[in-house]
Amino acid sequence: MGRFWRLVGAAVLALFSLVVLAQEEDDPVKEAEKQKKQLLEQSGGILPSDLYVEQGEQLFKTKRGPKNASLEACDFGRGPGKLEGVVGRLPRYFFDTRKVEDLDSRIRSCMIRLQGFQPQEIKRSDVVSIAFYIASLSNEQPVAVRPLMPQEKKLYQLGEQLFYLRAGPRDMGCATCHVSYVGKRAGVLPYSDILKDKRAASHWPAFRYSNDQAWTMADRIRACYSNLSMPAPDFYSEPIIALTLFMNVQASGAQMDLPGFIR
Amino acid sequence: MRRFYLPTLLLMLLGLASGQTSQSYINAELQRLIQAGGQNYANVLLKQAPDQALCSIHRNKLPAEVLGPFIEEQRKSIKYPADGKLLGDWKQGEPIFNTLARGNCFSCHVGSPLNIGGNVGPSLEKYGQRGTSEAIQKYTYEVIYNTWAYFPCTVMYRFGHGGLLKPEEITHVVAYLLDPASDFNTKPALKR
Ligand code: HEC
Ligand code: HEC
Repeated sequence: MGRFWRLVGAAVLALFSLVVLAQEEDDPVKEAEKQKKQLLEQSGGILPSDLYVEQGEQLFKTKRGPKNASLEACDFGRGPGKLEGVVGRLPRYFFDTRKVEDLDSRIRSCMIRLQGFQPQEIKRSDVVSIAFYIASLSNEQPVAVRPLMPQEKKLYQLGEQLFYLRAGPRDMGCATCHVSYVGKRAGVLPYSDILKDKRAASHWPAFRYSNDQAWTMADRIRACYSNLSMPAPDFYSEPIIALTLFMNVQASGAQMDLPGFIR
Repeated sequence: MRRFYLPTLLLMLLGLASGQTSQSYINAELQRLIQAGGQNYANVLLKQAPDQALCSIHRNKLPAEVLGPFIEEQRKSIKYPADGKLLGDWKQGEPIFNTLARGNCFSCHVGSPLNIGGNVGPSLEKYGQRGTSEAIQKYTYEVIYNTWAYFPCTVMYRFGHGGLLKPEEITHVVAYLLDPASDFNTKPALKR
């Protein structure tokens, strides 16, 4: 943990010097690139997200759980143990669970099926670290999510409907911000264009340098609900998978930047 | 399932009573998906109102034939303060405008001298220059009470309609925007 805090210190320093010395870039992607470069220089080539990747690799390869097994036999869609590029092909339908699963829910399924964990025993932070490890092996690979199976097509369609749904006391709906008001700011970051900007969905899971948090797409979606005081869908639940499927299809063709590094 | 049945039925009856045939957006499959997100999530989403359904169906761009009746319905929902006074106390409006958990107005609008404004909505800088005529008071009150009466399906919350601000609180915000003595009009707006 000591190293982690030293890294956080470096991040804070980098941020501070940037505020003092330089005009913040208007494009958040360029701004994040700048921050990343500076952090790398200050920390001697290590990013905080590397720590999650390292932790995740250990969790992935260690024999754990009631069945005393590692996750190395987990099939993320390209066959057991094949991890390269898998993030860009999720969510997808899996025959063993008979469900469309995203990265988070697939990790959880394997922890249940291979390691014998009870669902309530699974720590969210473990899933996130493992997601970061797997993401690190998909870096610079393309997003290629094409709903072909009937289950995928159905969930895609539901994800699209959910994306446009307005509800709650603040008339919340994803499309209002991410389609109708793209580029506008109600805070520091502009609303990203989820339908047209392929970068929006292609850098998750990501490390957020503004608050030192490791987030998967599920955390991002849940935060967008919470920001409008809406109850968020449960982790690993179908609404999250459906929205992720819808958004990842929009991002198809993008080259992934993983783990993401964002504000 | 039974929990959702009664409110839905009531809404349908209300729709019939006002001569509206309310289209629903959430079909059985979407309902099942939403329920899989958990009880709290489902409770809020499945309570979708008919006007929210219309915005969802038309992806926030209402076609001409829907627009007229839609706006009429929104206007009908506006309630005014008991004493009829629309210009309240700007000092009480200030914290509402500038607090994230209350009006959160500054997040979307430039104009506040206390917070850097966002640009989701139009700039309200020196809004008071529009004067304090009855018409401008009424417009400002109504936009805040039910934004959809003027901008159907827009992102700004319908503060009165959604129960986020009481009519009296809205009159204070109206005063914060319109009162010539308000800091909003006498002090420079903070901008990015
Ligand atoms: C009130 C406006 C608002 C609503 C409604 C909203 N979001 Fe967001 N969303 C944001 C903001 C602000 C950010 C952070 C800046 C950004 O990246 O767009 C964000 C970020 C995101 C991102 C990351 C984009 C990126 O480029 O990294 C995704 C994905 C996302 N939202 C999905 C959703 C989904 C799905 C919904 C509906 C469940 C939703 N949002 C609803 C405001 C909103
Ligand atoms: C989520 C963003 C958002 C929030 C929060 C918000 N607004 Fe708005 N507001 C808008 C948008 C967008 C419009 C323009 C509507 C359109 O063009 O669709 C608008 C329009 C207005 C208008 C009419 C503008 C004009 O020039 O006639 C007023 C007045 C206004 N808002 C006041 C407020 C007040 C007061 C609050 C807080 C109680 C508030 N708004 C909160 C986004 C927002």
